[in-house]
Amino acid sequence: MMLDTSNQKKFVAKVDDLKVYFNSKRGTVHAVDGISFDVYKGETLGLVGETGCGKSVTGRSFLQLLPIPPGVLVGGSIIYNQQNNSSQRFETGSKPGFPNSRNFEFKKVDLLTLTGEEIRKIRGDSIAMIFQDPGKSLNPTLTIGAQLSEVFLQHRTEEILEMAGLGSEASGAIRRFASQRNRIFDKWLVNLSGNRSTKSRVEKAVADLVAKALSDTQVPNPVKLMDRYPHELSGGMKQRVMIAQALACNPDILIADEPTTALDVTVEARILDLIQELQQRRQTSVVYISHDLSLVRRICDRVAVMYAGRIVEIGTNNEIFKNPRHPYTIGLMKALPSADTARGELLAIPGNVPELINPPQMCRFFSRCAFATDKCKNQDPELEKVTNSHSVACFADVAEISGK
Amino acid sequence: MQLRDYILRRLMVLPFLIIGVSIVVFTLTRVGGSPIGIYLSHEMTPDEVLEIEQRFGLDKPVWVQYLQWAKGVLSGDFGWSGISAAPVADVFPLKLAATMELAAASGLVALFLGIFLGTFAGARRNRAPDHITRIVAVSGASLPQFWFGILLLIVFWANLGIAPIGRSDATVFASINHPTGLYTLDAILAGSLRAFWDAIWHLMLPAITLGYGATAIIARMMRSALVEELQQDYIDAARAKGLAEKLVLKKHARRNALVPTITVIGLTFGFLLQGTITVEIIYRWPGLGRWMAASVVRGDQGTLMTYVLFTSVLFLIVNLIVDVVYANLDRRVTLGK
Repeated sequence: MMLDTSNQKKFVAKVDDLKVYFNSKRGTVHAVDGISFDVYKGETLGLVGETGCGKSVTGRSFLQLLPIPPGVLVGGSIIYNQQNNSSQRFETGSKPGFPNSRNFEFKKVDLLTLTGEEIRKIRGDSIAMIFQDPGKSLNPTLTIGAQLSEVFLQHRTEEILEMAGLGSEASGAIRRFASQRNRIFDKWLVNLSGNRSTKSRVEKAVADLVAKALSDTQVPNPVKLMDRYPHELSGGMKQRVMIAQALACNPDILIADEPTTALDVTVEARILDLIQELQQRRQTSVVYISHDLSLVRRICDRVAVMYAGRIVEIGTNNEIFKNPRHPYTIGLMKALPSADTARGELLAIPGNVPELINPPQMCRFFSRCAFATDKCKNQDPELEKVTNSHSVACFADVAEISGK
Repeated sequence: MQLRDYILRRLMVLPFLIIGVSIVVFTLTRVGGSPIGIYLSHEMTPDEVLEIEQRFGLDKPVWVQYLQWAKGVLSGDFGWSGISAAPVADVFPLKLAATMELAAASGLVALFLGIFLGTFAGARRNRAPDHITRIVAVSGASLPQFWFGILLLIVFWANLGIAPIGRSDATVFASINHPTGLYTLDAILAGSLRAFWDAIWHLMLPAITLGYGATAIIARMMRSALVEELQQDYIDAARAKGLAEKLVLKKHARRNALVPTITVIGLTFGFLLQGTITVEIIYRWPGLGRWMAASVVRGDQGTLMTYVLFTSVLFLIVNLIVDVVYANLDRRVTLGK
């Protein structure tokens, strides 16, 4: 499962010097302060760090889902390397993951500068997101089917019309019905006797798509599930629905923002397996945001460790977990219980994450670091390469200490 | 059908509630003494007074009188209205039509305008439209109707002389038939633009006075409910699906924000009924509210009992409707449990 990233240079997304600040009464919070990383095709990239280190803000930046204001996008770019044309992908949806069978339309866009209409076409289609609490991310007053169908209505109008046996000759009202762009009299128009059978064919096509998406997530009885309301489902079931919704359009990138935090451990394992299985089948890149190191170790190909709005270390799973170079990463490892940790040997990193309001030009880990020198106090370390795939932002050479 | 069962069950309780309410009110109207005063005049001799007492059964014990009243109601006889000098059953429909026209005009406008303004403000939180709506809404909710109504009256009727008072112009009233008692509807039925305009013109100030407060309450509630819904995670999830902001607002946020608002709308109905009393007195509107106010002062039991009976039934039905709408909007609500 581990991918050799050194000869996998095909990035799907390239985050470059992303800076997101938040204006507050007490000053500007540098929530994400100049981070850069690549997301490669088909890989799982783990973003780990403590609460408030900017993981979620980074994830949300991909889809322009930041609260602006008070948030301010100060700089940087997220170049998205569009993998293929979405409608072609749909037609070959039965055998995804075989890029040779399709014509690639390479197109690079900066996700941060897209207009509202442009980013909407990407949201849920090319880049999808799963949220932390499945109980809160489903609308309580709409059925599962209604909520899932929105993705298809939004991004797959042509296919729906085709499935319903209607080509380009579909009338305006029906077309608007199949794309959720109803005008004021459309409710009445689509129910006219001439349109009613067409409308039900469209509804049938949407229902088929929804049922297929649900059955991909191994829920029992997907057709019945479509008429249920979110409160009638368990947490794990709701997260399956969310996953079905996120993967409905075969996205290139899936942003998973702590998708299992609200679930219990047994359900968590099954959800993770499901995400991995679907990801491998579809060659989706996953950005997995989590504070759970053991979980990240289990599922991620590469890991980026974040601290106070910065990436302090990034590398492959092996490099990070076998050979951590940053004092913070090392501290995190020591705080991680494992089967061979003796009782009482679990160590905590002293101190707290510093406030991110107008931070000074120095290493942000300085106050908590065991290897701090005067240099760390006066200069801000940059990410530097240790190996081709492993970078660390630290002045101290802690290789030998970590070897302990 | 669960819904039908629920409605039936609620309707079955209705008679018992009505009996309870009527007993309490009947007793209360008697605390001030016998209602005989309404039938008397200065020239009457003690013998004549006694005769009237016997005619209306006022010499009997109070509980017998209650039973007599209840028997009358069941056979469609709601008693004698002293202040109108006519049977209650004859006067009531006319008064009801007048009040309904006023309440419907202000209520419907308040409902749609309130929801619209609330959505408008909530979606533009802390921006200029929100602040302007807030000023309108807070003033609407805090200005007492008797003050606001008189203010409008002074400005538009007394000073500017552009607004009329009462319910219609006498010559216009005589020009068409009034089969429904709702003057705007009557005017439409008669096809008279002049009568329609006259009805609207007379309706304007009372409806504004009555509807302003209700609009404000609904708008405020809708605004805060919408702001709260817009902060929920499912809103971001909807955006992450690629939905346009308009759709997120209309299909997801507004629908959910309506759930708490519906409760307030139900309560506003009571506010509206209560308001008709003040507004009808200020604008000399010949409706139920003014009728009731006069009957309280004069101790006219027949009129009063009918009014109370009617409003309690109306209130219970409105609450039933609110519950049903509520359960329809939010499927987590199960009725009758």
